[in-house]
This record gives sequence, structure tokens and C-alpha cells, in this order.
Amino acid sequence: MKKIPLGIFKYSCCAGCQFQFFFFQEHVLETLGAVDILYCKMGTSGGVKEGPFEVALIEGAITESWQVDELKRIREVSRFLIPIGSCAVNGGIPAIKDIYPEIEVEKRVYQDLSVIHSVKAHPIDEYVRVDGYVRGCPMGERDLLELLTSLLLNTKPSFPEYCVCVECKLKGAICLLIAEGKPCMGPVTNAGCGALCPSHRRACYGCWGPVSDANAPALAKKFEQLGLAPDDIVRKFTQFASPTIEFRKGAEMYE
Amino acid sequence: MSEKVISIDYLARVEGETAIKISIKGKEPQELKLNIFEPPRFFEGFLVGRKHDEVPDIVARICGICPVSHMTTALRAIEKAMGINPSQQTKILRRLMSLSQMVSSHLIHLYMLAMPDYYGYPGAQEMLPEFTEELSRLMRMKKVMNDLTAAIGGRASHPVSAVVNGFTDLSSPQALKKLHRDLEKTEDDAVRTVRMVSEFPFANFFRKAEYVALNAANHYAMMEGSIVSSEGLDIPEEDYEEYFEEEEVSYSMAKRAKVKAGGPLMVGALARLNLKFDQLSPSVRKLAQEVGFKIPDYNPFHNNLAQSLELLYGIQECRQILENLELFPEDSSYRVRAGEGGAVTEAPRGLLYHRYAINARGVIEKANIVTPTVHNFANIEEDMRHLVRQNSDLPEKKIALLCEMLARAYDPCFSCSVH
Repeated sequence: MKKIPLGIFKYSCCAGCQFQFFFFQEHVLETLGAVDILYCKMGTSGGVKEGPFEVALIEGAITESWQVDELKRIREVSRFLIPIGSCAVNGGIPAIKDIYPEIEVEKRVYQDLSVIHSVKAHPIDEYVRVDGYVRGCPMGERDLLELLTSLLLNTKPSFPEYCVCVECKLKGAICLLIAEGKPCMGPVTNAGCGALCPSHRRACYGCWGPVSDANAPALAKKFEQLGLAPDDIVRKFTQFASPTIEFRKGAEMYE
Repeated sequence: MSEKVISIDYLARVEGETAIKISIKGKEPQELKLNIFEPPRFFEGFLVGRKHDEVPDIVARICGICPVSHMTTALRAIEKAMGINPSQQTKILRRLMSLSQMVSSHLIHLYMLAMPDYYGYPGAQEMLPEFTEELSRLMRMKKVMNDLTAAIGGRASHPVSAVVNGFTDLSSPQALKKLHRDLEKTEDDAVRTVRMVSEFPFANFFRKAEYVALNAANHYAMMEGSIVSSEGLDIPEEDYEEYFEEEEVSYSMAKRAKVKAGGPLMVGALARLNLKFDQLSPSVRKLAQEVGFKIPDYNPFHNNLAQSLELLYGIQECRQILENLELFPEDSSYRVRAGEGGAVTEAPRGLLYHRYAINARGVIEKANIVTPTVHNFANIEEDMRHLVRQNSDLPEKKIALLCEMLARAYDPCFSCSVH
């Protein structure tokens, strides 16, 4: 079988999605056997940055202008360009800073701001056309393998497009929001994790980002009924994916 | 006088982004810069205003390979700030989770990031199919260690069940028993790893540093104890900021830490072994002797060998903890209080410090995080200066590779260092 010519690029993030690719998932050796990694700084010295790539996997949010320049060049030489993981898909954790004035955040960390070239954190599709999303924090194993298998078989990958609640129901897990009054983000969060947190008796905190038909205002009101203070409700919708319109709708009611 | 210029646009096979620039006149390195251009994410900036119970999940995302360390350090700092004393069971589970993550991290570094250097390959993928046996061994070990981290924390990377004052969920006795058996089978693979690493052709280079680690009287400390150094430092973790300082560096997004009264320091596996080798199990010490590892060891390249020995120790220690471990559901409720607290843990790459000031509503008012690579930054540069001086007669390409290998031997995490 022909190997998939692949490029892996990292922007502002923890590199956890690359570690998912190379270490944490179950099928690392099979994955390495199926792809031909042309460029990946963390995996290999040298490499061909110029491509062309059958698929470019992009992790991390965009927070500096050089990343945009590079990203646009990668788009030109890639058949498929896929953001992997929450930072790249929806801004993830790095985008928490977007809800504060940039200077306030920066000056708490550095004294000399003249060498800092940071801008607000944006997902990849803010700057280039993308061909799908591998969601999750880190990116989901099932979705990653679905993507790779589809590329090998030349079929269209199928990713879950429903909320975490569906996975809870399929697992027969007790609803933490209704039965225990815990502020669970499951109803507005895209599935794919297998209802990981609720399965561990913990309210979902939205790390996969919003599902497309999320009704955040309704959930925000539910949180208010549960007794959450307005600022706590805002935090629920700004921990992950704060730039997305779906989560913004929940946060802005209480800002 | 002859001039040489070393310019490495990016250091491959490390976590995060760094360039290396060196100019050499005659034998003397003139300019030498570890240009850590990893983009800052401003964790210490945006944590201000967040709720304390969000912090462990947020800081886990500082690093994709040591999320457990950032989580547990934050949890301990927050608990100290609020005067919470977690149960013995919680402490044991955190130790298990940290040890399993340390083994995983060392595995990645030894097999995927460092090993290709010593066999002349650009990366681990290129080592297939010739090194199938080694890589299959890696896969067997990583499966067990990932399963163990996940059994305690719910997920191997970015765990979910570790929260302030406890765990939301506990592993079943059957799952723990199975892991105990799996660990037993893994020991042989770990011993083979030590032997393999001991045969890497390490550079013959020695430079003494101030080695710093967390130390406790009766066990190999991961998260409780005092901060000690080879130069006689011995302080409680609360006093960290009195004895260590960070400075901004014009050419780097990472800051550089040093001991206030001293200079560059080294943290991580080699520092830990140099300071507390005697606390390893007799069988690990015996194997160390067999493969020629002897303390004090001043060769930073031997950090790889130290990691392999720690890997074996970690597997043995996890197995021992699991031996008679019985878990019981506990009340992990707590009262939110204002306060300030700092905590130090041993991350896979060395000393990690978190400090938080929290108000009466449990909201973060101040955050400070100092990572292992920030502690090692100055010492990597200092070692590199000496290494370049000793090898200045070599062609530029060879000097460059040596410098890359030196930096990699420290197992730096530049994503962590900038955070």
C-alpha cells in the first residue's frame, strides 16, 4: 500500500497532539508504517519543509504572525490540511487570554514587552481553508485513526457531530447535570471522548470545544439555576474554545 | 584567526522550538545563544482571574508529555494555599501517577528523541524495520505505563480524575492487579533498555554543575521533601523564591533561573541520581555498577543513562506500591479559603515550581511557574561553551551535531519553558 506523504507542524500549544500521534495512542507502529513523514521537527532531523504533502496535520493555535505566513505556504502545497486538537480547531486553552486585554496578560509575565510579538490566539481556519477537524485535547484517538484509515482507503472520514450527552446515554452513564446538579458542559460539547469525564464522575469541562448546534444560552441559564455566580458561568464558556461563536453566546449573557 | 559559525535553525527531536547560534574565533566561542523562540502562551498571565479548581486542568496543557507534573504541582500549591491536607491515599495515587509519567517520558526521550542520534538516523521512524525489536520493546513498555497513568487519572495524557483534595473516581481492584502483573513482565524490557542505553557512544565530556533535586529522608522524593543541592543547599520548598531567581533573556522567550547565591544549576535524572543514588533499589544500583555508572557523574550526556536507570526504578516502585494497594472512596470536599502557597515536585525533567495567591472566593490573584528547562537553561549554555571550546578543531557540521546532542541529552522541554 502506498504510504501517505505527511507533514506535521506545531504552533502555540503543548505538543500533546503530536505525543498522541507518536506515543499515547494504541496503534503507533501501524501509524508509522502507514505514513511517510516528510516533515516533523519533533520526530525527525532535517526533512522537506516545502512538501508537497498529501496531508498536513497542524497542532496549536496561531499567536504570532510568522505562523500565519508559514501556514499559508503549507496550505499551498498540501492536498488536505487538517487542524488536530483543540488549540488548532477552536483556540483551546491558549485562547483563554483572548477574553482579556492582551497587554494585561503580557505584562504579568514579562517586563520587556518590546521582544514579545504575540497576538490573540486564533484557530487555524481563521487563516486558511481546512479539510476537516480532528478534535480533542489531546486529539481523540478514534478520530485520528478514522482520518488515517480514510486517507489510506480514499474514503470520506466520519467524525461525530453530536454532543457528549449522546455518548453518556450510549454508555448508560447517569446524567451528572440532571441527577446530581453538577455544572456539566456535555450538552454543548462535541463528542468523541467517549464521555470520559462523566464516566469518571466528573462534569465535562468542554475540552473538545462546541458541537455545531450547541445551545449555550440555555445551558448558561441552567447553570444560573444551579446557583453558579455570573463570573463562574463566564469561566465555563471561556476555558476552552473561547473564540467560538457557540461558546461566546453562553459567556456573553453573564459578562 | 579562523572563524566558524554554527547556526541551527531549529533543534529537532525536542519538545518545542529552539534555534542555536554560535560563533567561534580560533578556539574560543564568542557568541553562544540558545534562542528559544517557542511562542509564549502567557499561562501566568491568564491564570489570574480563573477559579482555583480550573487551574490543574489548565496547567496540564502547558506540556503534552508531563501534564501530570503540572497538575500535581498545581494541586499541591493550591492545597497549601488553602490549608488542605490531602489523605495518604491521595498522596500515594499522585506518586503512582507521577512515577508512571516519568517512565513514559523517559521512554519517549530515550527511544524516539535521543536514540536516533547514537545510531546515525534522522528519527525513530527511519529506524524501522532494522530496529523493530527495540521499538517493539518501547511499545510494550509504553502500553503498560500509559494504562497505569490512565488507571489512576482516567487518561494517560491530560488526566481528568485528579482534583483538589482527591480523585473523582478510583480504579477497580481487578484493574490494579492486572497492572501489577503487567509491570512485572515489563522489568526485563527495562533492564534491556538500561543495557542498550549504556552502549550509546556518549561524548567524552565532563563539567561539574550544581545539581539540585527534591530530597526526603526515607524515599526517592517525587513531591514531598526539601530542595537540596550538591553545593550544600537544603531548604524547605516554601522558601524556593528566597533562594532561586529568574531573569529575562533578550534572545529567548524562556526565562533563565539560577541559584541566587550561586550560578547555573542542573536538574533532572542525572542531578537526582548524583544526589540520591543510595535511595534506588539494590538491584538498580547493582545494574548501574554493571554498566559502569558511578556517582558523582559530571558528564551531562549521561543524563540518558540516568534516565534509563530511573525508568527501571520507576517500574519497580510502581509495582511495589501496587502490591498491597487497596483503595477506598473518600470525602474530598474542602473549604475555599484565601491564601498563598508554593509547591515543588520532581517532573521527569527535574525541579518544577508552582505558586499561587488565591482570594476568599477561590479566584487566582497571582501565579508563578518555573519549569525544569528554565532551571537547566543557563547550564546547557555553559556546557555548550565548554564543549565547543574542546572541539573547536572539528568541522562546523560536527560541532553542530555535538551541540544538538548535548541539548537533547538534557531532554529539554521548550513548550514548558516558555509556557
